[in-house]
Amino acid sequence: MLNISKDRVGGLVFLLFSVTYGYYAQQILLMPGDVSQAFNAQTLPNALAIVGVILSMVLLVTAKTSFENRVDLVGYQFSLVIKLLLLIIVFAGALKWLGFMLSTILFLVVGFWLLGEKSVKRILQVAIPFTVCTWFILAKLLDVYLASGKLFTVFLGA
Amino acid sequence: MWDGIYTGITTAVMPFNLLMVFAGCFAGTFIGMLPGLGPVSAVALMIPITYGLDPSSGIILMAGVYYGAVFGGSTSSILINAPGCASTVVTAFDGYPLARQKQAGKALAIAAYSSFTGGTIGAIILLFAAPALAKVSLSFQSSDYFALMFLGFTAVAAFSGKGQVVKALIMCVFGLMIATVGTDVTSGIPRFTFGSLEVIDGVSFLLLAMATFALAEILMTVMRGDHNNAENAIDIKDVGSMKLTKAEVKEIAPTMVRSSLFGFLVGVLPGAGATIASFLAYGFERTLASAKDKLKFGKGSLKGLAAPESANNAASTGSFVPLLTLGIPGSGTTAIMLGALIAYGIQPGPRLFVDNPEIFWSVIISMYIGNLVLLVMNLPLIPYIARLLSIPSQILIPLVLFFSITGVYLVSFNTFDIVMMVAIAGIAIFLRLLDFAMAPMLLGFILGGIMESNLARALAIHDGSLSFLWERPLTMWIIIIAFLVLLLPPLLGGINKFREKKYIEKAVLGNTGD
Repeated sequence: MLNISKDRVGGLVFLLFSVTYGYYAQQILLMPGDVSQAFNAQTLPNALAIVGVILSMVLLVTAKTSFENRVDLVGYQFSLVIKLLLLIIVFAGALKWLGFMLSTILFLVVGFWLLGEKSVKRILQVAIPFTVCTWFILAKLLDVYLASGKLFTVFLGA
Repeated sequence: MWDGIYTGITTAVMPFNLLMVFAGCFAGTFIGMLPGLGPVSAVALMIPITYGLDPSSGIILMAGVYYGAVFGGSTSSILINAPGCASTVVTAFDGYPLARQKQAGKALAIAAYSSFTGGTIGAIILLFAAPALAKVSLSFQSSDYFALMFLGFTAVAAFSGKGQVVKALIMCVFGLMIATVGTDVTSGIPRFTFGSLEVIDGVSFLLLAMATFALAEILMTVMRGDHNNAENAIDIKDVGSMKLTKAEVKEIAPTMVRSSLFGFLVGVLPGAGATIASFLAYGFERTLASAKDKLKFGKGSLKGLAAPESANNAASTGSFVPLLTLGIPGSGTTAIMLGALIAYGIQPGPRLFVDNPEIFWSVIISMYIGNLVLLVMNLPLIPYIARLLSIPSQILIPLVLFFSITGVYLVSFNTFDIVMMVAIAGIAIFLRLLDFAMAPMLLGFILGGIMESNLARALAIHDGSLSFLWERPLTMWIIIIAFLVLLLPPLLGGINKFREKKYIEKAVLGNTGD
């Protein structure tokens, strides 16, 4: 268990974020006449950066150091969540290259397996009918255009 | 008003809209039942579907999903002690012990009757309160709107829980900051886009809502390992009798009425929502109960189950009052609905009552129909719907993930959006681990654009001076109320501490007396 309070970590992160946000708020280009205006594209971002800095300072100062407020990362399945997030990114790429049907089957098969379903028969029994049904509803009933994957259009000329 | 009600009834009872109420209630019950997915996620999952519907049907569907999800959350609270959402946490206090005593059917029936009572009483009050408030708010100016939005933020912060006020305010500011990404509406200047065309139109509301609620919520469930937690499950296939005796009805009826009225009032407060209402109603009923009844609380008390169920449904209805009349959402769910309305090009607020009476009234009428659907259709079907809980989580979770992702993808057909969702979900999980709530962020994001344009207008009218904050009485009073609301938590905390101290003193004195 890390001996850091959640409030302190949160306060510090938001302080850094607000300062960075404030810096980029200063970089917003203004129209020549806007500079002298009471309200321009920079006004709200600048105000938000200042409020953000003040609030994060308040959080840092009033941070609770109680036992419950400490950063506790024990017992969380981080690796599984990271794998699922990576799977979603791969799914995004697969949608482009393999098209809706194949990428969805791939996503579901790997997803079921990652979450602990080891029966290949069961994985396929759910993934394939579910994907076909969803594709049918979207493409045929709702008339949603689902592009074929680039792999088929570019390389196989389908 | 009666013309409006007539318009509302005719719109709400149109076959397609009735279908939306039915579909919404069912879908909501299904989604709400899944541990980890609450009304906010359920409504967020519906956004892509509503894009293809007309505004009335879309909002009616969302309202149905909202009710269904609250009801579904109660079901999983009672049957597997895993509340689908925060507002049904209290339901598990007495609902789950009842299920353990082989009275799951009775507990589900009480939850349904209480939800119906809460929803009905809420809808009736809304019918009269909303137009009255809308008429008053027609005289509001830009400065008043700016002040009202400020009130919304402080209210969300105030009701976010002990020690969470600053964090909630930070999240509001964070949401406002995200809202500034993209082209500035007033000047047309791109802000924080870093030359990327993908964010030139700003961050999509749908993407943000789905990533922070649907996706992050389900991934949090996985991360905590809750999806493997099946030890609490009772026999879902046999929930027992759903009948209540006359004595039981007599026992819970006053509780239901009291808690409904109480819940509605709490729900109307921007930011308070159904969770606070259910906790307060439970506490209130326990205080009112006789010494003998008090002992039953937490062990399967019928009153203890009826109170939070009536209150959370009435509060869900109540949270529509600030949304429909002022354009300020009363809860995370109504914040998403506000976003959906804005996406339709409809500005909720006092003008909604005048410009789009069919939406205003049909939402109110459909709420009543939704409550009826939940009672008449969902209750008898609960034993069957509850079987969803027996679908293994390793199958269910990837399917829910798939729905969240494709929900966003099918609107834009841009795979960059999916990658952005992953990034936002990652940030949301990090913030959740540090105990930062997501609802204030979403509220800030949704209100950001409107707040900026109202502030700009108010400053333009007052020659660039902030004097409108104290020169216009209405604005000044709203700002004063906003600050007072912010001071509520420490004040209530102090009162509670004082009460606890008194209670302990009394108990100690009582014991020594024996």
